[in-house]
Amino acid sequence: MAASLVDKVMKGGGFWPAAPAFLYLVVFFIMPMAVLLAFGFVPIQRGTVQSANFTLEYLFDVLTDDLFWRVWWRSFYVGVLSTFFCFLFAYPLAYIHTLVGRRLQMVILILTVAPLLTSALVRTYAWLVILGGRRGVVNAVLMDLGLVSRPLRMLYSDFAVIVGMVQIHLPFMILPLITVLSSRDRKLEHASLGLGASRVRTFFRIVLPMSMPGIIAGTTIVFALSYTNFIIPQLLGGGGYTTVAVQVYEFIVVILDWNKGAILALLLLVSCFLFVLMITLAGNRMMRWTEAKA
Amino acid sequence: MSETMTTSRPATADVAERGNASKVIDRIGATILAIIAVCTVLLLSVPSLIVIAISFTETAYIGFPPQGFTFQWYADLFARDQIIDAAVTSLQISAATTCLSLALAIPAAYGLVRGRFFGRGFASALIVAPQMLPGMVIGVATLFFGAYIAFRQSNLMVILALTVFCLPFAVRMVMARLTQLDPALEEASLSMGASKTRTFFEITARQLVGAIIAGGAFVAIEAFDNLTVALFTASPRSRPLSVELYNLVQFDSSPMVAALSSLEILAAFVVMIVLAKAVGLDRLRT
Repeated sequence: MAASLVDKVMKGGGFWPAAPAFLYLVVFFIMPMAVLLAFGFVPIQRGTVQSANFTLEYLFDVLTDDLFWRVWWRSFYVGVLSTFFCFLFAYPLAYIHTLVGRRLQMVILILTVAPLLTSALVRTYAWLVILGGRRGVVNAVLMDLGLVSRPLRMLYSDFAVIVGMVQIHLPFMILPLITVLSSRDRKLEHASLGLGASRVRTFFRIVLPMSMPGIIAGTTIVFALSYTNFIIPQLLGGGGYTTVAVQVYEFIVVILDWNKGAILALLLLVSCFLFVLMITLAGNRMMRWTEAKA
Repeated sequence: MSETMTTSRPATADVAERGNASKVIDRIGATILAIIAVCTVLLLSVPSLIVIAISFTETAYIGFPPQGFTFQWYADLFARDQIIDAAVTSLQISAATTCLSLALAIPAAYGLVRGRFFGRGFASALIVAPQMLPGMVIGVATLFFGAYIAFRQSNLMVILALTVFCLPFAVRMVMARLTQLDPALEEASLSMGASKTRTFFEITARQLVGAIIAGGAFVAIEAFDNLTVALFTASPRSRPLSVELYNLVQFDSSPMVAALSSLEILAAFVVMIVLAKAVGLDRLRT
């Protein structure tokens, strides 16, 4: 029996080795997603469907609520700023990775991958310690140096949330950039330098445009992660700090209004996909634009 | 680091032809690049080191710089049944999720790479789709689905939801390796008279071991650390360590939390060294 199964697999036998995984995802992924979708449009109470009446009430409630749009705007700018600063900090290191010897390359890679193996929660906690009140690392250092007389209030603000997001999502930006940059064709750079262009000019005109696929990959991942993260805003933003993702958590776990939680989760998901699509399209357009210019 | 940049200048570059102004700009550019890169290196490493340093403080609060040196917070940690139970729960969840994910992922990757069937592109897309969703959405969807079919939050629910979330990692790692395999090796084995079963286990599977270890390790770590899925699917009565830590971070300000975090950082570091030795660090990038 077992032998004949393996036989079939060895023949490159079609779909069926993938069938268990496929079936699993239909039951435990597609069906739950369908229920999530349904809960956004069908009245429910305590987890049971009250009536099978389809209603757009919850969707309209959310979309006509000023508070929702304020909260959404915060999700959006936190996502954009985190992505921007993440890129700004990630690119130089990824670029230098391609210029140094193998040993240093290894060190950079270890430093980048290691944080991925620790939980994001631990890394968020680190920022509580660093930015936190009077005895936080930053305030302790600043006060010791005599630069400030009173502790700065850094925690529980946009600043804290964005700093946390940038640092925690750095590896997701660095890795695609390293992949693209280390496989790049260096002839163009050499030609550019040989023709007398400065290194800075060569960097902006050749290296940066050529790494566009890595930039698109990194920015889409980091934006999606920052936009949908609710742990970092909760811990570093404090009690009154809400984003759409935080609201999803609060409506489902704390308030137990699953209709509103479901519709917010769906809006978060759909808007996230739209933004990722926009970044990808804009990136591709820029790529074609630079190619046309070259 | 600016020195390395100068030495890597290609021989063809005619330095003399370039003006002094552009040389100054280059110097400034290289300096800015190096400064930012150093900042990034510090950003990646210093926060973890600070947490570790603070876990040894003798003060009862979290403060910098740490005062004195004590293992008291680690002792406190191991004296708390709640935390030990949570750690055991997390280990169980991690082990079960890894086994289930690999059992589904290895044949799936094989079918998707070697199989030729209608809808293969769609099947590949479906299998990696959960990776593009935030963990929260998978957790919430599983919670709702469970409520719908009267299945309550439990360790089993965490495992089932985490497997959806982790499957793409495992499938992609095995697929990446499978596409690199040289089919000539399998053909040689078959033509030398080995059975297909034997060829599969001794030639094909053996070459996949590295990818399976790497994929399994990633799933195990993710399943152990995961908070966004577990927060919605775990039963309040048997919390995994991540959920326990989440509550501690919010409501407990003693350095014990730093001690627990330090242990996680240490464990991650050990796992990475082992993985780097076993399968090579480059493979971890996918």
